[in-house]
Amino acid sequence: MFYRIAGQYKTSYGADYALFPIKQDAWLLALILVFAFVVFPLTASDFMFRALLIPVLIYALAALGLNILTGYAGQLSLGTGAFMGVGAYACYKLITIFPEMNIIGAIVLSGFFSAAAGVAFGLPSLRIKGFYLAIATLAAQFFLLWLFQKWAWLYNYNASGAIQVPNTQLFGVTITGAQAPVLAQYFFVLITVCILTAFAINITRGRIGRTWKAVRDMDIAAELVGINLMKAKLSAFFVSSYIVGIAGALFVFLWRGAAEADLFDIQLSFRVLFIAIIGGLGSILGNYLGALLIVALPVIIGTVPAAVGLPISSAMVEHLNTMIIGALIIGFLILEPHGLARLWALMREKLIIWPFPH
Amino acid sequence: MKMTFKTALLSTILAAGLAMPAFAQEVLKLPNMSYRTGPFAATGTPHMNGQRDYMTMLNERDGGIGGVRVAFDECETGYNTEKGVECYEKSKAEGALVTQPWSTGITLQVLPRTNVDAIPMYAPGYGFSAMQDGKTFKWAFNPPTSYWDGASMIMNAISDGDLANLKGKKVAFLHLDHPYGKEPLPLLEKLAADHGFELLPIPVGLSEMQNQSAQWLQIRRERPDFVVMWGWGAMNAGAITEAVKTRYPMDQFVSVWWGAHEPDLKLVGEEGKGYRALSWNFADPNAKLMQDVKKHVVDAGKSQLNQGAGEFESTPYQRGILMSVILAEAVKAAQEHAGTKMINREQLRWGLENVKLDEATLEELGATGMMAPFSMSCSNHTGHAGAWMVEWDGTKFNKVSDLLSADRAVIDPLVEKAAADYAAANQPWQMNEECTQ
Amino acid sequence: MSYLHSIFVAPFADMADAPDFFLQVVWEGLVSGVLYALIALGFVLIYKSSRIFNFAQGIMVVFAALTLVGLHENGVPALLAVPLTLLVMFVLAVGIERAVLRPLVNQPDIILFMATIGITLFLIGLGETIFGGANKVMITEQLGIPTGSWVVEPFGGFVSVEQKDVTAVVGAVLLVIALLVFLNKSKMGRAIRALGDDHQAALSVGISLSTIWVLVWFISGIIALATGIVWGARAGVSFALEVIALKALPVLMLGGLESVTGAIVGGLAIGILEKVFEIYWGQPLLGGNTEAWFAYMLALLVLLVRPQGLFGEKIIERV
Repeated sequence: MFYRIAGQYKTSYGADYALFPIKQDAWLLALILVFAFVVFPLTASDFMFRALLIPVLIYALAALGLNILTGYAGQLSLGTGAFMGVGAYACYKLITIFPEMNIIGAIVLSGFFSAAAGVAFGLPSLRIKGFYLAIATLAAQFFLLWLFQKWAWLYNYNASGAIQVPNTQLFGVTITGAQAPVLAQYFFVLITVCILTAFAINITRGRIGRTWKAVRDMDIAAELVGINLMKAKLSAFFVSSYIVGIAGALFVFLWRGAAEADLFDIQLSFRVLFIAIIGGLGSILGNYLGALLIVALPVIIGTVPAAVGLPISSAMVEHLNTMIIGALIIGFLILEPHGLARLWALMREKLIIWPFPH
Repeated sequence: MKMTFKTALLSTILAAGLAMPAFAQEVLKLPNMSYRTGPFAATGTPHMNGQRDYMTMLNERDGGIGGVRVAFDECETGYNTEKGVECYEKSKAEGALVTQPWSTGITLQVLPRTNVDAIPMYAPGYGFSAMQDGKTFKWAFNPPTSYWDGASMIMNAISDGDLANLKGKKVAFLHLDHPYGKEPLPLLEKLAADHGFELLPIPVGLSEMQNQSAQWLQIRRERPDFVVMWGWGAMNAGAITEAVKTRYPMDQFVSVWWGAHEPDLKLVGEEGKGYRALSWNFADPNAKLMQDVKKHVVDAGKSQLNQGAGEFESTPYQRGILMSVILAEAVKAAQEHAGTKMINREQLRWGLENVKLDEATLEELGATGMMAPFSMSCSNHTGHAGAWMVEWDGTKFNKVSDLLSADRAVIDPLVEKAAADYAAANQPWQMNEECTQ
Repeated sequence: MSYLHSIFVAPFADMADAPDFFLQVVWEGLVSGVLYALIALGFVLIYKSSRIFNFAQGIMVVFAALTLVGLHENGVPALLAVPLTLLVMFVLAVGIERAVLRPLVNQPDIILFMATIGITLFLIGLGETIFGGANKVMITEQLGIPTGSWVVEPFGGFVSVEQKDVTAVVGAVLLVIALLVFLNKSKMGRAIRALGDDHQAALSVGISLSTIWVLVWFISGIIALATGIVWGARAGVSFALEVIALKALPVLMLGGLESVTGAIVGGLAIGILEKVFEIYWGQPLLGGNTEAWFAYMLALLVLLVRPQGLFGEKIIERV
C-alpha cells in the first residue's frame, strides 16, 4: 500500500538505473535523514550519542569499507582493524606534526596512508585466493599491530604508548578532544559518513563497481573478457582501505579520544566483518543494519536486566550478551545468509505488491 | 539470603536512576567498573569483591555512610577500553559521584573527559602516575601510591637503599605491553641513566601472557641481576611458573603490588620461596575491619568471594577492601565539610583532597598495620603512603621490610614535566587555580 | 656493515656459543609447535570432510579444558571427568550439526565460516556463564601426568625439559598415529576421506552426511580436549587460550588446508622457527614480540611461491 509503484513510469534506461527507481525509496531515505539530522539531535542524551549513535555510524563506515573489498570485489579481509589503526595513527601524526592543519584535511589525508597499506598487503591477492588470501590480511593485522606497539615515533614517544587526541577546532567549534560538545562530534561523523556513503553508492554502481563484481563472481572469466585483474583487485583494496582508514581516524578522534595499539586488535577486525556479513555482503544499506545489530544491540541488552529488575551481576550480563550475539549471528545466517539487507529487499518486494500478492 | 540479596539489588537498581527521582536522592552512587571476565579476571575479581564487600558492610553495619546507603553498581568492562567508555557515559548519565575506571587504558581515555564533565576519578594504586599533581589533574586521584612511587621503592629495596649499588648491574623489566605496563618506564630509564645500571625492558604482549617462554629464554640468556615485574592477570602466574622452570633465582625476582597475589604463588608453592612483591597493603584477616566484613557480609552470604580458595585471607581481596575504605573516608570528610549527607561531585572532590588516614583513623577503622597512614591535599592527589616488601615463604606472604618510601626528589620533577606535557597536549586544559600549595 | 653483521653473522655466532641454550630454544619451540599442530589438525579434519573453515576449534579447546576442570571442581574424580568431558564434546558435536550445519548445507564457504565464528562467541558466553571468567588450573597431577622436570647437561650448560611437555609430545604422537590408523583403516575413516574427495560421489554410495559430520566434529572435540589438557598444564586454563589458537591459521596455510601431514609439519616448523627467530633476531634487532606476526609473514611468503601451501592440493580452476 505504502509502496505502490503504480503510476511511476520509466521512459528511459537512465530512469531505470536511477538511484531511486521507486519514489517511495527516496521518501524513506529522506525520513531516515530527517531522523538522523533533526530528531536525534533534539532528543537523544549524551549516553545515546556516545554509546549508540556515534559508534553505530563509525562501525557502519568501517563495514562499508570492508564490504567494498569483500562484498563487491570478493577478497576476504581479516585485517580491517589494523587498517583502521593506520588511519588513526596517520591522523594523529598529521595533527601533531602540523598543529595548524585543519582536522578535515588530516582525516582526508590519513585515509591515503591506510589505502597505501591496504594496497601493499593486497598485492598477494594477485596470486592467492579465498581463505589463503585471508592469511595475507591476517599478516597485515598482526604485523601492523606490532608496529603500532614498537614504533614509538608513531605515538610521539608517549610514556604510556597511547595516543591522546588533542582538542581541535573547526569553524570555531571544538570537534575533537574532551572539550568537544557531543552534538558537534555527532554531526561531523554523520556528515562524513553520508558523503562517503554517497561516494560508495556511486562507485559501486559505475564501471569500476561492475569490474569488481565481475572479479568477485569469477576472476578467470573476468580476465578472459578483458578486465585487468591487477587493476581491479588493487583498486578495490585502495578504495576499501581508504574508507576503513577514515573510519579508523573517526573512531579515535571523534569517539574514543585516546587509543592504545591493542584497540586495533583482531577482535575489531572480526567485529567489522560480522557487521558486513550480518548486514549483507555486496550491499550498502546492510552495513548500517548490521552495525545497528552488532553495536547497538549489546548496549541495549545490557540495560534490559537492570530495567526489569532482574538480579543479575554485570559480569553475568556480559556473559549472556556474548552468548546471545553468537546465537543471533548463527540465527541470522540460517534465516537469511545474504544478510539483513536481503531481508529488507524481500520485505520491500512484498510491500510493493501488498495487499494483492497475485 | 537470596531474598535480601534480591531486594538489596533491586533497590540499587531502582535507585540507579530508572525509578522516581525522589528515590534516587537517598543513595550515594559510587559505581565501579569491574572485569570479572576475560584474561584479567584472575587479579580483577578479588579486588572488586573486596571493594564491593566493604561498601556492603557499611550498608549493613552502619546503614551506609553518614546514614545514606551506598549504591555500588558494577559495570563490566572485561578490561576492554571500548566498554569502559560506554560504562563511563552510563554512570555519568545515572548521576554517579565518582568514576573508578580500573584499567590504565580506560583511565587514559576517561581522564580528559572527567576534567570537562567535573567528575572525580578515583584510581587507587593504578592509573597515570602524574595524576599526583592535583593542580593539573583537578579531578583525578590515585592514592595511596603511584606506579612511579612503586618503581622507585622497588629500586631502593633491591639496591639496599642506595642506588649506587646497582652500578654496572642489569635489571630486566618484565612488563605487560599495555599502557599500564609501560607506565614506570620513564622513571626507570631516568634511574638507569643516573645510576649507571642497565635497564632491559621485556614486553609481554596480551596474547603471550600465558606463554612467556620467549621472554624467559631472553632472561636466561641475558642473566639480569634482577627481574622487576609489572604484570597483571594471567601474566603473573605465567611469569612465576616460567621463572621456576628457568631456574631464575626467586630472591632476585620482584613484582609491583599486583604480583602479591597468593593464588599465583600457590601454583608453584615451595619453589616460589623468596619471591618478593612490593605491596601497599598487608593482609590481616584478624583485623577488626576484616572481622566486621566477615561478620556482616561474608558470613551473611552477601559476598561473591570464593571462600574455599582462601580469598578472604588473600592480599588482593583485602587491598580491594582498603580501596573502598579510602573512598568511604573521602565521602565522610565531604559530608562533614559540606554539612549535608547527600554530597555532590564537587563536594566529593573536596573530600578526596582532604582524606586524612592517620594512625588514629586506621585504629578506629580497625585496620592498623593493613596499610600505611597517608593524607592528600589539593596539590597532592596521591598521598604517597609508602609500601612494604612482602616475601613468599612457600605458603604465605610475610612482611620483610620496614615501610619504604619513594625518592621524591627524582619523581616530583618528572611528575611536574609529565603533567605540564599532558596539559599542553590537551589544550585548553582546566587547571585547579585555587590550589596555592 | 655492522648492521649486516648483526643480521647474518651474530645470531649464528650466538647459537654456536651457547649450544645448550640453542637446544632449549628449539625444544620450547617444538612444544609450542606440537600445540599448533594439534589445533591445526582439528581444523584440517573438519575442512577435509565438509569444506568448513572451522574457526571454533580454538574455543573448543578452551571449552573442553574448562569442562574437564569444572567437573573435577564439582567433585567428579579426574579419571571419570575425562570420559564425561568427551560425552559433553559429543553432545556439542551433535548440537552443532543439528542447529548450525544442517540448516546451512550448501551455503557459500564464507557463510559457514561466519557461522563458526558465531559458534565461537556462543561457546565463549556459555563457558563463562557456566564456569565463570576466572583462570583455572589444569588438574595435571590428578590425571597422572608427571610434573617434574629433567635437566640434561650437554656442552657444559643445561637444558631443562618439563616432564609434562614430554608427555604432551608423546601423547600428541600417539593421538596422531591413532587418528591416521582410524582414517586409513576403518570404514568410518574411509568414509570421511571419501567425503573429502568427492561429496556427490560419497553421498551416492550411501555415506550419511550427518553421521559423518557428527563424527568429524566429535573427533575434533577429542583433539580439542587433548590440546586443552596439554596447553592447560603448561599455562593454565583461560579464555586467553583462544587467541593462541589463532596461530593454527598460518600453520594451516603453510601446510595446506586439506593435509594432515601439512598440519603436523607446518605446526612444528612454525613453532620452532618463530621461537628461533624471536630469540636470535627479534629480540636483539626488532624489540621483541615478533612471535605475534612471524608465523603469518612466513606463511605469506610461502604462499607467494606455492599458493596452495606446502602440502595442499593444487587448485584447478575451470571457467
